Amino acid sequence: MALFLASVGFGLVTASVLAIAAVGFTLQFGVTDVLNLAYGAIMIAGAFVAYLVNQAGASVWVGLAAAVAVCSAGSVLVNSGVYAPFQRRGTSPITMVIVSLGMTLIIEFGVAAIAGGTSVSYRMSQGRTFHAGGLILTTVQLVVIAISLVVMAGVHALLRYTRLGKAMRATAANKTLARNCGIRTGRVITVTWALTGALCGLAGVVFAIDSGSFNATSTDIFLVLILAAVFLGGPGQAYGAMLGAAVIGMATEVSAAFIPADYKYVVAFVALLVMLGVRPTGLLGARA
Amino acid sequence: MKSTTKSPTLAAIGLAAAAALALAACASGSSGSSGSTGGTGATGSTLTIADVAPFSGPDAALGPTYLASCYGATTAINNAGGVLGHKLTCKSVDTRGDPADAVPAVNQMFATTSSLALVIGCTSDEAASVVPIINGHKMAMFCMTGQSEFDHVHFPYFYRLVPPDLEESYAMVAIAQELHYSRIALAFGNDIGSQTFIQPAIAALKKAGIALTTNQTLDLSATTFRTEAEAIIQSHPDAIMTEALGSADPTLFAEIKQLNGGKMIPIIGTSAAISPPFFKASAAAVGASTFATDFRADNLVTETGGPAYQAFSKALLAEQGKVPGATGNFTTYLSAPGGVHLYDGINLAALAMIMSKSTSPGAYGPDIIKIGDGVPGATVVYSFAQGAAALKAGKAIRYEGPGGPTSFDGFHDSTGIFQVDTYSSSGTVNVVGNLTAAQLRALSG
Repeated sequence: MALFLASVGFGLVTASVLAIAAVGFTLQFGVTDVLNLAYGAIMIAGAFVAYLVNQAGASVWVGLAAAVAVCSAGSVLVNSGVYAPFQRRGTSPITMVIVSLGMTLIIEFGVAAIAGGTSVSYRMSQGRTFHAGGLILTTVQLVVIAISLVVMAGVHALLRYTRLGKAMRATAANKTLARNCGIRTGRVITVTWALTGALCGLAGVVFAIDSGSFNATSTDIFLVLILAAVFLGGPGQAYGAMLGAAVIGMATEVSAAFIPADYKYVVAFVALLVMLGVRPTGLLGARA
Repeated sequence: MKSTTKSPTLAAIGLAAAAALALAACASGSSGSSGSTGGTGATGSTLTIADVAPFSGPDAALGPTYLASCYGATTAINNAGGVLGHKLTCKSVDTRGDPADAVPAVNQMFATTSSLALVIGCTSDEAASVVPIINGHKMAMFCMTGQSEFDHVHFPYFYRLVPPDLEESYAMVAIAQELHYSRIALAFGNDIGSQTFIQPAIAALKKAGIALTTNQTLDLSATTFRTEAEAIIQSHPDAIMTEALGSADPTLFAEIKQLNGGKMIPIIGTSAAISPPFFKASAAAVGASTFATDFRADNLVTETGGPAYQAFSKALLAEQGKVPGATGNFTTYLSAPGGVHLYDGINLAALAMIMSKSTSPGAYGPDIIKIGDGVPGATVVYSFAQGAAALKAGKAIRYEGPGGPTSFDGFHDSTGIFQVDTYSSSGTVNVVGNLTAAQLRALSG
């Protein structure tokens, strides 16, 4: 029972990290129509940007700010330099997936070439460990959960209450109609790349903080978890991604308390398969 | 956020593509440089020694460790005049620690390396898939695998200076006995090389009367092991026996320390943990002094002084800063099993080439055994230069390198005995004890 309660707490942390990444990914996919598999690679690039800043003597939180800025700019550049030219030529969505897969390898190998193949850690304290009702969480883990909640609330406010958010929703729903209604969809898409790139950088650093030790390929399996959360919630659905992240995060950690731990991701994907079998459009996706 | 749902087909393709990427990465991580050359090869007639090992993925620290020994040995050999007029050079072949990735990498190596004279590396990650291929090409190899199948299957071109993994499992349990631990938790990675330790370790623990508190298998592609760490803590072990390379062990250590109120549980690692990248990552995860205090590992006995060690340390340390992928405290390579034993393997092969007057493995292979085991009255030599000079003078030689004397069996295995290593907080390796053959025998079978 104690292990179960502890695993619930760990699941909350995993779900928080996953939620930040999944919301950014699904917003990007929903608005830009690019299933950007290089998202995980950009995440780890952001984690290494923060590592460089941290190694230079600054706090990892300063590094986080640098990673957010670099990944935001980097995502805009990747889109304008790679994805947008392909889209302008009418490249099919399937081909775009392959292009993004290529970008993944380019970025990952680039990071590995610079940073080396071995694992690194941030210089930071995890703070005090709190025990409450079986939950065991450190100060940093509580900060990660808090960051995730703030990001979720921010995304909700953006989509619900701002002109930009409404323009993003309109662009995602029907780009042509949005353009005809006077929305500058090109600008909306660029801003979306910048915003989701920032979320990607944030997710990368939070992921690295949470992992404790990371290397250039650490997000490879995490990308699959992001996709699982996104498609469990319904692709393009920000709230669905939050829900999907909660389910996948909890499932992986809680299952590890009861089954051999190396099968914990299997449980998450069984949940995804069952869900997609029952409801192919995801938890919050529109019914087909 | 939108009223229409994105294409399920695209979703499925994306998921499949990402899954493929991740599955490839599970075992391999990123692909590294394959086919890069280094060393001190002269232009013209150079012979190539291929380091077939992981340079990327969780076990990425192994390849550079072996490459360091290759650079050190070949530089010393070249400075002593080379082999039969040939200079030697080193080539890295990245197996990514995955048997499936290793096969095309090795096939490509044979297709593109006409001057290949020796293969080193071939760890437990990929040995089962690549040893038959290398043997099929009639190429001599010194492998760093402990897999037990090589105790019984004869590959004429296979040589091994390290013991079977099950003996290393016994060595870990012997360390636990010496430290009077009565409760042990196991935490091994889900890769082939690490999983092979588990069953012998469980059997040896039982024989030693030590309670197994929990056996956690760590998915090397996972990013956190909190639940596994908590399960270990709740089982109240005196120590943890582990091998989960890459970022897995450092992450596990950090999470155990966090969840255990800032207190580390003592760790008993394998000889693979004696490497600069492992120390660097683990020290960064839990603090160098904490890690140094709580970590022990079995390691093959290697010399720490004497003429063989002096020649070895001089050769290896001369390569500091020149070995691609080598990070951390370079002096740790002086104690790394791969660094020591593959240096010996290269010297044995090079001297055998001179003795047989051939660079063909079919011709020089039998002389590896003769030089390693020696014949009555043979002159003992401690370096390639000494050996080459003695052979030139027409003497029979027995090579005894920093890994100590060798004694090959019918399967070309020469297994040493173990010592217990610790780290200082600066990453220097200290020998704190030895394990006798009797101790290991008592835990076997």
